[in-house]
Amino acid sequence: MATVARPGVQPAQRTLLTRMVRVMFPHDRFPDGPYQRTADAILEAAAEDVRLRAQLDQGLRDLDAAGGAPFEGLSDEQALDVLRGMSSTAFFEAVRAKTILTLYNDPEVWELLGWEGASYSKGGYVSRGFADLDWLPDPRIEEAS
Amino acid sequence: MASTNGHGAGNVFPIDSKPIDQDERDCVVVVGSGAGGGTIANQLCQQGIRTVVLEAGPHLTGRDYVNDEWEAFNQMAWLDPRTTSGSFRVARDFPNLPAWTVKAVGGSSTHWAGATPRFKDHELKARTTYGDLDGASLLDWPISLEDLEPHYDEAEKRMGVTHRWGRPPLPANNNYKVFANGAERVGYKRYATGPYGTNAEPYDGRPGSIQDGFNFQGDKDGSKWSTLVSELPKAGRTGNLDLRAQAHVVQITHDTRGRVDGVLYVDRDGALQRQRAGAVVVACNAIETARLLLLSASPLFPDGLANSSDQVGRNYMRHLTASIYSRFDKPVRMWRGETMAGLIADESDHDEDRGFAGGYYMEMLSLGPAFLAAFIDPGAWGPDFTAAMDAYEHTAGMWLVGEDMPQATNRVTLNASVTDQHGLPVPNVHFDDHPNDLAMREHAWAAGVAVYEAVGALGHVKTPPYPATHNLGTARMSERPEDGVVNEWGQAHDVPNLFVADGSVMTTGAAANPTLTIVALAMRTGDHLGERIRSGAV
Repeated sequence: MATVARPGVQPAQRTLLTRMVRVMFPHDRFPDGPYQRTADAILEAAAEDVRLRAQLDQGLRDLDAAGGAPFEGLSDEQALDVLRGMSSTAFFEAVRAKTILTLYNDPEVWELLGWEGASYSKGGYVSRGFADLDWLPDPRIEEAS
Repeated sequence: MASTNGHGAGNVFPIDSKPIDQDERDCVVVVGSGAGGGTIANQLCQQGIRTVVLEAGPHLTGRDYVNDEWEAFNQMAWLDPRTTSGSFRVARDFPNLPAWTVKAVGGSSTHWAGATPRFKDHELKARTTYGDLDGASLLDWPISLEDLEPHYDEAEKRMGVTHRWGRPPLPANNNYKVFANGAERVGYKRYATGPYGTNAEPYDGRPGSIQDGFNFQGDKDGSKWSTLVSELPKAGRTGNLDLRAQAHVVQITHDTRGRVDGVLYVDRDGALQRQRAGAVVVACNAIETARLLLLSASPLFPDGLANSSDQVGRNYMRHLTASIYSRFDKPVRMWRGETMAGLIADESDHDEDRGFAGGYYMEMLSLGPAFLAAFIDPGAWGPDFTAAMDAYEHTAGMWLVGEDMPQATNRVTLNASVTDQHGLPVPNVHFDDHPNDLAMREHAWAAGVAVYEAVGALGHVKTPPYPATHNLGTARMSERPEDGVVNEWGQAHDVPNLFVADGSVMTTGAAANPTLTIVALAMRTGDHLGERIRSGAV
């Protein structure tokens, strides 16, 4: 996954967008990597999409102004409040929609959430715990007679 | 037979295709290769009738499918542009994706999960049973359950449905253990791991399930019944099948008497081709079936082919659809194993005391993190959303599928201001929930929560409807020509050699997943069309 900022994108924009995405979808146990890759995906999309680029340009400036101080200096709670105030903007929605499609489609995130990903090449789960839940009794599988 | 390449590659079930001349009129053209089209094609080929199947999508096989939700979606899904209108939430959340169906050989039968309940007798008499509900365009089917039963029997045998005809049940997986224990504790009785159209053990040249947990993404092994691995390979072995992939039909043509005489389609190189035919069967899934009939308007049929009733595209139904995802203090790992092999039927009857007409099933469901994030609560963000995602490993899921009311204004039309890659008007899907749908959904959510609370759920997300996999009613069967598009045999009221064989023909939607009924009806229509061809009527 590319982690190099696109030409024309300021490193500060990438940092700010990464912070925005983390505040929007806060997972304490996620390291910075998935959030940075998400920010990069948004910036890459913007390189191909004038409308998105324009929204980012204005939106990131608004983000820094809305809380009365630079966004990155705000506490999690203050930053969340700033995002709530912007949540009806096209900028916010563009970032949110792209984040949903990117952050949770990241193999590192899958692992962090416990999902095991592709299984066919490992023979499925038939011999790998498809029925290993042991905190409930084994239920009936036949239809009621 | 399958050529088994070992896990990692995927199984291929070859489909023999024998060219039929494009000017040959002594053949039937079937548009679409899914549960309806693939099944009727096999039914015709087995009767010795030469059949051309035109499929808009590519010929993907078990070797092509990928265990990756978004990659598989982009590979398989029907992504041609569509538009939406109306008050349903999908118009806001997924404005260009009203339906989640497949554009590939095998159609949406490659994507279905596998649940195969039958429709009930009273559901085929919906107008009589439910009465005159305000705003609903209810109608009794022109056939009864008794008419359908022999075809249901045959369809279940053909598909190798578990719990039926000696086919063993699938075992309980983790998600089922939570689901079924919850069902038992709230007092439900009619729960089981099926009936389900996936092999628990090898059957009909296809392997038993390896519980790989991928299902909507295409089944790499072929343990799940689909027309790709069952009906079309069988049709091919008769020598009567000509299967053409990447052949997108854009017009059904007719002669001066108003009998259809062929189709025009765009081939894989973008060239317009003609295939002549003695009869045409449309089976493109409800949105595209209506669109193709409307696109086929002509001076003789100014409002669209087979549309003198003005019913083409109307009465569009998409089933109740809602889901519950609940989290527990201990791990569930719902993704391991068959996605939907768990069903509770206790709420599937018509019981007016609940405050709505019709019923619903509760069915086990799992999504991976990528799709759960996209669908669990579209538009949501922030700490509540991430708390639900953080609980992924401890989450159990169920789908709620029930009968929605047909409404004349819920409708597929042509959107003249938006065109697709071929320059054709795209379909617009207009949908408003009926008050009955809303009442049923609230009841179903509460019942689903109760099931999980009975086994200790800590929290829930009530997931709203998302792009529909059950698309029904846009060319409905009716006894009287003025009430619908086709008769009890799937034959167009207006055009004697034009047939429809997919979920479009359903007069009302019933509660059950539609695939089994689409297959049963396609077999019935195929037998009838074969008889008419033999008698010279078509």
